[in-house]
Order: sequence, then C-alpha cells, then structure tokens
Amino acid sequence: MNDTVALLQKFNAHPDSRCWYVAWNPKGTLLASCGGDRAIRIWGREGDSWECKTLLQDGHQRTVRKVAWSPCGNYLASASFDATTCIWKKKNDDFECLTVLEGHENEVKCVAWAPSGNLLATCSRDKSVWIWEVDEENENEYECVSVVNSHTQDVKHVVWHPTQELLASCSYDNNVCVYKEEDDDWECRATLEGHTSTVWGLTFDPSGQRLASCSDDCTVKIWKECQPEGGQEGTDVAWKCVCTLSGFHGRTVYDIAWCPLTGALATACGDDGVRVFKEDETADPDQPAFSLSAHVPKAHTQDVNCIAWHPKEAGLLVSCSDNGEIAVWNYQSGV
Amino acid sequence: MVSQFSGVLQLTDLDDFITPSQECVKPVKVEKKQGRSVAKIQIEDDGSYFQVKQDGGKQKLEKAKITLNDCLACSGCITSAESVLITQQSHEEIYRVLRNNKQAGVAEQKVVVVSVSPQSRASLAARYGLSSSEAGRRLTAFFKGLGVHHVFDTSFSRTFSLLESQREFVERFHRKEQDKQALPMLASACPGWICYAEKTHGEFILPYVSSTRSPQQMMGSLVKGFFAGQQGLNPQQIYHVTVMPCYDKKLEASRPDFYLEEADTREVDCVITSGEVVKMLEEEKVLLSDVEPAPLDTMFSSVCGDELLGHAGSGSGGYLHHVFTHAARQLFGEEVKELTYKTLKNKDFQEVTLERDGVVVLRFAATYGFRNIQNLVQKLKRGKSPYHFVEVMACPSGCLNGGGQVKPLPEQNNKELLQQVEDLYKEERPLVPEEDQHVAELYQSWLQSVGEERARELLHTQYHAVDKATNGLLVKW
Repeated sequence: MNDTVALLQKFNAHPDSRCWYVAWNPKGTLLASCGGDRAIRIWGREGDSWECKTLLQDGHQRTVRKVAWSPCGNYLASASFDATTCIWKKKNDDFECLTVLEGHENEVKCVAWAPSGNLLATCSRDKSVWIWEVDEENENEYECVSVVNSHTQDVKHVVWHPTQELLASCSYDNNVCVYKEEDDDWECRATLEGHTSTVWGLTFDPSGQRLASCSDDCTVKIWKECQPEGGQEGTDVAWKCVCTLSGFHGRTVYDIAWCPLTGALATACGDDGVRVFKEDETADPDQPAFSLSAHVPKAHTQDVNCIAWHPKEAGLLVSCSDNGEIAVWNYQSGV
Repeated sequence: MVSQFSGVLQLTDLDDFITPSQECVKPVKVEKKQGRSVAKIQIEDDGSYFQVKQDGGKQKLEKAKITLNDCLACSGCITSAESVLITQQSHEEIYRVLRNNKQAGVAEQKVVVVSVSPQSRASLAARYGLSSSEAGRRLTAFFKGLGVHHVFDTSFSRTFSLLESQREFVERFHRKEQDKQALPMLASACPGWICYAEKTHGEFILPYVSSTRSPQQMMGSLVKGFFAGQQGLNPQQIYHVTVMPCYDKKLEASRPDFYLEEADTREVDCVITSGEVVKMLEEEKVLLSDVEPAPLDTMFSSVCGDELLGHAGSGSGGYLHHVFTHAARQLFGEEVKELTYKTLKNKDFQEVTLERDGVVVLRFAATYGFRNIQNLVQKLKRGKSPYHFVEVMACPSGCLNGGGQVKPLPEQNNKELLQQVEDLYKEERPLVPEEDQHVAELYQSWLQSVGEERARELLHTQYHAVDKATNGLLVKW
C-alpha cells in the first residue's frame, strides 16, 4: 500500500461523552456533530483548525444519534433517543428549531433527506421506517407519508439513493431493505439477505448503482441491482451481493462511506481503526473487487462510530469516536 | 411469530417474542410455602415442572399464565405470543364449549349465539363464490349444525351504533362553543385505533373519541342484556361468539368495561376471525358453498325475506355517511342524497364537506391506516384540525381489509380480492337506520324501560388512558 491516511487534526467534540455522528454540509464549509451529551455542535474551519461555531444544547432530552443536512444546506435534521427528530433552520451562525417530528415509539436511530429535499426518512428501534414530506407552503409543517414495517428488529440506518427517490434501510435483523413509492404508499421492494449479524451502515456509490453495507459480522458487502429472473415488467427489483470484504476488520464495522469524488470506500470500525478501500480497475463490473488501500489501526482510542468524506475536497475524511473525539484525515492515493 | 394485529396496534409496544415480553410486569401470585427455601426443580418428560422438597415429596408447579385481560390492564407491553393471547379466544374454545354442551346436564348447558359481521360475511362469500346473503344462510346452517342455537348479524346492532353516533354528534356540535374538546368527534368502532389512542395519546385525545359502542359490543349488550332477560337466562348461561374481520376485536371483547361483574361473564365471550371460520370449515371438511342453506334468524338481524340488509357508506360501517347526512338534516335542514368524497393525501384519507352560501359548514373526513391517524392526531395537537367528525380506522382500506379476513389463494391478487369483497359487501341493500322498525321497537320496549342511566351504559362506553411504564429496568437494549 503506498496510499496513506494522515491525521490533520483531532479534537474533543463532546466532552465526557460519545461522539456518535459527523456530517458535512453540502458545500463542505461546516461539519455537524452530535453525541451522548444531547448536544449538536457545528464546526467551521478557521485556518488549519476547526472551531465550534454553534452549540445546540436544548433540542433533545436524550442522546442525539445522527444529524443530516438538507440538500440545500439550509436545514439540519437531528435524530434522538428521545424518540423525536428535530428540524433546524440555519440563520447565519445560529439554528432555530422549526419543528419536532413525533410518532416513533422509541429511540430514533437515523434521519436522512431525499435528494429532492422534500422528503425525509427516519428509522427507529420500534422497527419502523417513516417517510415524511415537507409542506410546500409551510416549511415547519411535516406530514407522515408512509410508515413501513419491513424489518423485524431495530432499524439502525436509512440512506437515500443519490439521485432517485429510492430508500434503503438496515437493521439488527441482519437485513437491508430497499423501498420505492408505489401508488400513494411506500413499500419494501427488495430484502437483501446475506449478513450474519446486525447491519449498521449503508452507503450508495456515486452513480447509485451499487450499495455498500457494513455489519457486526465484520464484513462489508457490495450489492448491485440486477434484473429479476424472468425479466418481467413491474416485478420486485432484485439486488445481488456482488462482493464481500472479509478478513479486514477485527470487530464490528459501524459505518461506511463511499466517496462521491473518488469512489474510495472508507469504514469506521469497533477495533478503533479507520480503513480505506479502493476498487480494482480490472474487475468485471458485475464482480467488483476491492483492496485495502490504507489503514489507521488506532485512529481513535475507542470505537469509531462514523466516517464521512468531504463533499468537495477529494481525500478529506472525518471520523468520530466513543471517546468524544473528532479526527480529520487526509487520504492520499499513491496511484 | 409475526403478529396478526392491525399495524396501528403493532406499533404500540407490540413484541414479537414467543414468550411474554421481557417488559411483562404482571406480578405472578405464588403461594408461599412454609419452611426452608431450598428446593430442587425437576422437569418431567412431558415438560411439566415439579418442585422436589427436601423430604423428597414432589409438587407440581403452576405455569405462570398471563391472560388477555392482564395484558390490557397493564402498560408493560402487548405480546403477540399466540399461546398467551389466543388461548381464550379461538375456534378451539368454541368447539370445547359445544362439546361440553353435548355432555353436560341441562343446568350447565349454555345457549350459544354467534353474531356475524357483514365484513366477515363478504370475505367468506368471496372465498366460496357466493353472494353475501347466500354466505349468511349457509353460515347459519353450518353453525347450527355444530350445535349453535342462534346466528345473528352485527349489521343489526350497527344500526344502534349509527343512531347513537348521529345523536352524539349533534349533541357535541351544539356544545362546541362551551366545550373545546367536543369536536372533532372521532369514531370509536375500531379497537386498534382505540388501543393506540389510549396508550399513545392518552388524556389528550380521549375527550374527542365518540363514546358510542361498536356494533360488536352493542350486540354484546343486546345478547347478554335484552336477550338474556327475554329468555329468562342468566347472562352467564349464554356463550356469545362474534365473527370479525380482525384480531383487534378480540382485545375489544376482553376490555374490563365489557365485563359484567355481577354475572361474572363477558358480553362477548369469544371473537373469531373470518380466517378462523375457514379453518373450522376445513376441519369439518366442508365447503361453505356445499352447505345446505338455512333460514336466517331474524331476532337480531336486519333481514328482508332471505336477504340480509346492510348500510350505506364505507365498508367500515358507514359512520361518516350516516353522521354527515343526519347532521346536514338536523343542523342545516339539508337533505343530502349523495356524498361527494374528495381524496386528499392518499386513498385512505378522504373528505366530505357541506357548504352553505359558499361557506363550509360541515367538514368530515375518513382517515384509515396508521400514517393518516398520525397526521390527524399531530394536527389536532397543534390545534390545526379543520374537521368536525372523523371516521378513524386502523387498517388501510378499512375493515374489509382487516387482518383477520380470508387470505387470497395462491393464484389470487390482493387488490383484486379486496375489490371482490367490497363489491359483495355493497350488494347488500342498505337500510336507513332511522327507518328501522325493529330497532325503534327495542329502543321503546327495552332501552326506555331500563331508564336513562342504564340505557347509556348499554349503548355507550368509556376509555382509559394508559400510563407508560417508565421503569428503566424494563427498557430493552
């Protein structure tokens, strides 16, 4: 491996607490983090370092598990163990809570915006995935469009296709579900089985043709949409596992991110390590192969919970950990 | 074990554990034995547990049982474990009661009454290629052949529910200025909706919920109240079964409010689903279409010749239709011949309005399914609900699509089957509740005779907000 991951900066983001998630805004000028201290922090670059621009302390009554920026960058959604999802509007350096989405029975594990910015998906330990719609005229009116119960256990993560209105979710039930809108309701169109333990994270490749999942079974799987047997119109879509990366991770893989600029795959692992995988050029598109490009064995002193590629700067990577820290890395590919 | 309860009920702490949920907090009453606490537990070959005392004496240990009532009274969870919930309410139970009847002496025999819902009838009619009334006549023959004494139709008791709902709405409308919680009135015939409302929104939502009893429980009052009195029977001597399109109705029948304390009996003893009737037919190795039809029992059925009559409006009882037409007439002097339904966000969310001089004076809605119920309640909480009345049902497409309806055959398409069931249901000629002579007579002879308070108990019910268990020890990780 002549590819490297160099540490640029490390800082404590959530004192005496876990940092659960980090998310870059669409322009890449801000980084939102959230944690077990129930707070959301917005970080901005000041020269070579990152400064906390905003602290949102009173939005939630329990751990904030994930945060997500809207495609336009003006809104931030936060998913919390207090069973609510908060929608914040950015007003200069400050954020105002527009509305609180209630309805989940217990801890909300994830929130994600659809590429159109009109739809939002949330998922929870109550095993359901909810799809919400913003009212066109009223930005603080969100209505539930669908509630889908395809998983039989805690749903850990939801992610939207980069360009289409297609949703994927993963769960403690070891499966990944893919959803599409049919008539006036959202339905699970495919169940991706293969992992042998909880699936913690999902990420689409830049084109949206492939989906990568990471699991407690210490593997990463790459899935590709393919024609169902018989090739009939209107039947359920089929996704096949076209690649499994095993033997690379020592513990649970908690998060995975596919770089929209370079196609590199980064993972966050329970063995405290950060890894970057590169796709082999020569491989058959239906049988892709990935190799380990770079590995930071002790990226943090505890579990790495999240990993995220910068949307504009190739190679810029951020991770966060149970020890409350955020680390900013520079990945350089030798080739 | 995948739960068969409505989606709305499932999202309220429902567990898929095979045993009572880890959250179960029901204290199990154990008889404390004197002496040293050391004892061994031995498991016999048949799986029963015996406590072996120090002197070698064995004592059989009772299995901890959780009944449906325990579950409802508790806020811990609702478990889908079939063994726990369905033990007391299944077609096996009915067979047991009928068998007992054959063997028992006259004094212990029970009068068995089965009340069939029109939605179940339509579902069975679709499966066996019959019309709804044909299915009704054959079900009458089938059940009587097993030893059932009377087979009634809940469209009859539904007439009471519709009349009471109409009156209740007008009364609420009149007091809406003084009472901010009078409107919107939310229909209460659906137990999935009621259980969800009690558990999740509690005190906030209950004042809006109609106190009118559902057709199932109206029939409970009729059978164990009026009928029992008329036949000179103790309510306990009647075994009342209802055939319903969903499993949530089993929970409704088990509510403490529908338990007759003095007689130590429930108004509805057992609820079986349309699907369970198919099981019974299969066990008897008979097709409903092959059963020789029998004349319909007319005492508590809306019958015209050998046809059963239904009601206008939705397949979920027609509450919106009837309350709307009655309110339009009573409050605004308008005779509404036909309702125009406007589909809003999705096909399970529809609206009907009455305009007077360009102003909307009545705005009613039908909201079916969890997502629409969510939006309705959230809007209500923010004070933004524009409705006067909402027909709320837990199942998408309403009762005709209930979780207990007959499942499609391998070659059948879900949508097509539902359409078939809807068509068969609508074929029943509608009866106008206000014009039903039989019901009017009962109001006169029975309800008036028992006095206002008792009549209210028989026609209406109450709801109870459930406290959520906030014990940290009970949280599942």
